[in-house]
Amino acid sequence: MFGFGKNVNIKVDKDLHARLVKIADVAGYATVDEFVTQILEKEMLHFEDVKGDGDIRNKLKGLGYIS
Amino acid sequence: MSFLTDLFGLKPAPQGEPIVLVSGLPRSGTSMMMKMLEAGGIQVMEDGVRTADVDNPKGYYEYERVKHLEKETDKSYLKDARGKVIKIISFLLKDLPPDNDYRIVFMRRDLDEVLASQNKMLQHRNETDTSDDAAMREAYLNHIASVRIMSRKKANWQTVEIRYDDTVKSPAATAAALNAFLGGKLDEKAMVAAVDGELYRNRKDKLKGT
Repeated sequence: MFGFGKNVNIKVDKDLHARLVKIADVAGYATVDEFVTQILEKEMLHFEDVKGDGDIRNKLKGLGYIS
Repeated sequence: MSFLTDLFGLKPAPQGEPIVLVSGLPRSGTSMMMKMLEAGGIQVMEDGVRTADVDNPKGYYEYERVKHLEKETDKSYLKDARGKVIKIISFLLKDLPPDNDYRIVFMRRDLDEVLASQNKMLQHRNETDTSDDAAMREAYLNHIASVRIMSRKKANWQTVEIRYDDTVKSPAATAAALNAFLGGKLDEKAMVAAVDGELYRNRKDKLKGT
């Protein structure tokens, strides 16, 4: 995909946006974008890091599916 | 992958016939899928080392060497699987070499059923298992999500997700979907006949209270 900037827009529900703005302000974030970015990056770690791989590896070894 | 293919999202040049991979978590119907595809007319790459047992009465369809994919550096033997079907569990998909094209049939099954079936298999193998089912369920959910993300990023992967329960209920629909995904030359009737619903033993509706 081609793009001219580094950022893209994501649509969220208006009420959710209002809550995000409120909490971002109370929590001391410079902008709601900064707050949302941090939440998303934190959540993405669940999928991208190797957390849980040790448990899976042990189970699969016991089942005879990896060496 | 070249800089240009990465930059412009171009498809790389074909790397011979694609390898059909049957993947997923263990006990998610991967052996049944191997049997279906074999019946459909695709040659299976297996070595027969792991033989049929109470957990897989119709055989495992495995190729032992792929179990070392994480550790082994020479993976060139996988080129022998081009034009064939091979079973590789989803945990090892991250270790696939980039010099093949892959058509991945990713088996999905209810995670409670998967865990129940895996736990029974561990008992049959006299393995000690200290894992917590709730933690494993979470780990498997994250793992499946990471496979989906990986699949979108790999230009040499094409993936279809097939549900085990749907296949047992409607094997003809799964056979048709697979035939469309894999080029339209498979024997769908033979694939349907290869599905044995009797082997769907750890069903969620029967797991309650166990």
